[in-house]
Amino acid sequence: MKRMIPTAAGTAAVVLALTACSSGSGGDEPAAAAEGPVTLTLAGWSLSTTPEFQTLADAYHEENPDVTVELAEYDATEYDTQMIADLAAGSAPDIYVQKNLKNFWTYQDGGQLMDVSDVTEGLDPATGGVDFYEVDGSSYAVPYRQDSWVLYYNKDLFEQAGVAEPDGSWTWDDYATAAEDLTSGLEEAGSDALGTYQHSWQSVVQGFALAQTEGADLTSGDFGYLEPFYDQAVALQDAGAQADFGTVTTNQLTYQAQFGTQQAAMMPMGSWYVATLLAQQESGEADEFEWGMAPIPQADASTTGTDATPVTFGDPTGLGINPALDEEKVAAAKDFLAFAAGEGGAQALAEIGITPALLSDSVVETYFGLDGVPTDELSQFAFATHDTRPENPVDADTAALQNILGDTHSEIMSESSSVADAIEGAESRAAAEVG
Amino acid sequence: MATTAVDDRRSGPPGPLPDAPPGPRRRRPGSRLKRRNTLIGWSFILPNFIGFALLTLIPVVTLFYLSLTEWNVFGGAEWVGLDNFTRLVGDPSYRTALWNTIYYSAVHIPATLVASLCLALLLNRKLRGVAFFRTVAFFPYITSIVAIAVVWNMLFSPEYGPINQFLSFLGVENPPGWTTSADSSMPAVIIVGVWREMGYYMLLLLAGLQTVPPELYEAARVDGAGAWSRFWNVTLPCLRPTMFFVTVILTINSLKVFDLILVMTDGGPGQSTLVLSQFIYAKGFEENQFGYASAVAVTLFFLCITVTIVQFLWNRRRDA
Repeated sequence: MKRMIPTAAGTAAVVLALTACSSGSGGDEPAAAAEGPVTLTLAGWSLSTTPEFQTLADAYHEENPDVTVELAEYDATEYDTQMIADLAAGSAPDIYVQKNLKNFWTYQDGGQLMDVSDVTEGLDPATGGVDFYEVDGSSYAVPYRQDSWVLYYNKDLFEQAGVAEPDGSWTWDDYATAAEDLTSGLEEAGSDALGTYQHSWQSVVQGFALAQTEGADLTSGDFGYLEPFYDQAVALQDAGAQADFGTVTTNQLTYQAQFGTQQAAMMPMGSWYVATLLAQQESGEADEFEWGMAPIPQADASTTGTDATPVTFGDPTGLGINPALDEEKVAAAKDFLAFAAGEGGAQALAEIGITPALLSDSVVETYFGLDGVPTDELSQFAFATHDTRPENPVDADTAALQNILGDTHSEIMSESSSVADAIEGAESRAAAEVG
Repeated sequence: MATTAVDDRRSGPPGPLPDAPPGPRRRRPGSRLKRRNTLIGWSFILPNFIGFALLTLIPVVTLFYLSLTEWNVFGGAEWVGLDNFTRLVGDPSYRTALWNTIYYSAVHIPATLVASLCLALLLNRKLRGVAFFRTVAFFPYITSIVAIAVVWNMLFSPEYGPINQFLSFLGVENPPGWTTSADSSMPAVIIVGVWREMGYYMLLLLAGLQTVPPELYEAARVDGAGAWSRFWNVTLPCLRPTMFFVTVILTINSLKVFDLILVMTDGGPGQSTLVLSQFIYAKGFEENQFGYASAVAVTLFFLCITVTIVQFLWNRRRDA
């Protein structure tokens, strides 16, 4: 739910695909042991608006005419529930997507993922998120897509408010100051836009706290690391520099509209939003304005600046193989995984505005060659350079702990309890209910 | 067996008399008839029974078995005896969910009953356009629950919502935060629950009201009974069978409340509106702890059944 690919991203991708369509032609190895025509099935969701699956299938088929990849459609929000049911019933597709890391443990521990360590070994070492799928030294999925969180900002609104644009050196304190300055500056300029927009997802606060705090461990059951991040989030909404949680939830505000129609000058959001914003600007759903991406603010100054590597978070999206697959198809399926996670797949995905797990120079070049993507240096740096930590570290208790922290999030942001009390409550619940 | 007995009796009149000597010739058509009637009987029951067995009976029986196991969908379920139930006792979230379910039911049931009875009495008169008003009252029940949740959430919006604007207009200084505050989220959900369901129960009570013999009112009036006295001594006693039915259904539905809360607050803020059904959903379908979720479902089942039995016993005592 937290990282659901916005359906509009799909629309965006279709538009982009039409304007920038040349098929993927990476330097991948030729098809391995597949003899004669082979048909593989691949799971995907909301196919009409999420073209990444068809793109990968087509690009692979073009390089390997003997192998046809057919898609099986699932519901986007109920994907894991439906997939778990299909796997249990023995009717799941040959290759299926790990939508996020929250349920990876369930699949892996349940024996529903084939060991694909040999595929992982052949991958470019620069591929992001590979280790997240490792259990006891073996890999059970490969990442083909790795979104990570950046700070989107509206250059026009910054200018209007007379506030200096981000330069890559921001900590969260700088961000909070800028948000408040922007809000007052914009108010003086006669605009009712706010300084920033933080969506109601728990990951907007917790993802950064987990990634950027030294020694933070979700599964330890010690959630003290969340406190400074929540203090700041609550202070921002109390200062009026950000729509408060109640308004966001009761009015069903969407982050696309908040940033796209210039209701907020900044917004921390995943890189998938680039494609959405471009498509919405094209269709008129979003205003036309100058925007850019900056590295996400950091907890302390040691990881700021364009000569350092900013720490952010994001779960990779991976592909795994159903162990019930026919033996003669295994080689072809593994080859498809290698293609999707390799240069060929990355190029094909970058062409439709999706952030591949492999960000080689040529892939980044393809991505920034798309019409409408901001090409300034900071945006390129923010997109390509980051240390992305998982939102959901793989563990048996991750799902249960995230549910507890989801309650904590709404409790704190609705200001029903103090930050310290809510965190203490979460810790005692974690101790009593999990593990 | 019961079916056969009934069939025998039914086939009596057109067939041979019971005391007629059973001859070999007559016996064959008789047994054929019997078979035919049995088949007809089964064919009436089967379509419903197959559906019931496949979709309700077998899952319920499986539920009881699963509640004694640990199972995450894949592989076999591991027998753990009563472990899930002992875990329940020490689980603070379960206690919260149980308490919230009781809170919701304790307020929602009487409120809905009173509201729907008032509506039914109001719309049982010969008013102009009464059919229109009845339809209006029934409308919330057939409206999509998601639409209801979205619209009510907007109405409840603490700063911009019309409800709080109206309260401020009346001079209320600190209007509640409704669904955005842990203190007032449950009342907010109950208000929407009552509003949504009162039309449905109104319809049932209306049907009950139509069965009250008008002579009784006339007689009461002749005896000099006022409106309140007529309501108390004529309407309510005549309505008792309907009221009983409505209360039982309403109680079960309140204890099982799920969709409304899921789409309106998702159990939040914090755990302020977490109810048992939602707890079951989270444990089962979000965390894949199907054994534990089944154990919670078993407790909800017994809660429903106990309350219903108490209601039946109470009703029987009143009947006696």
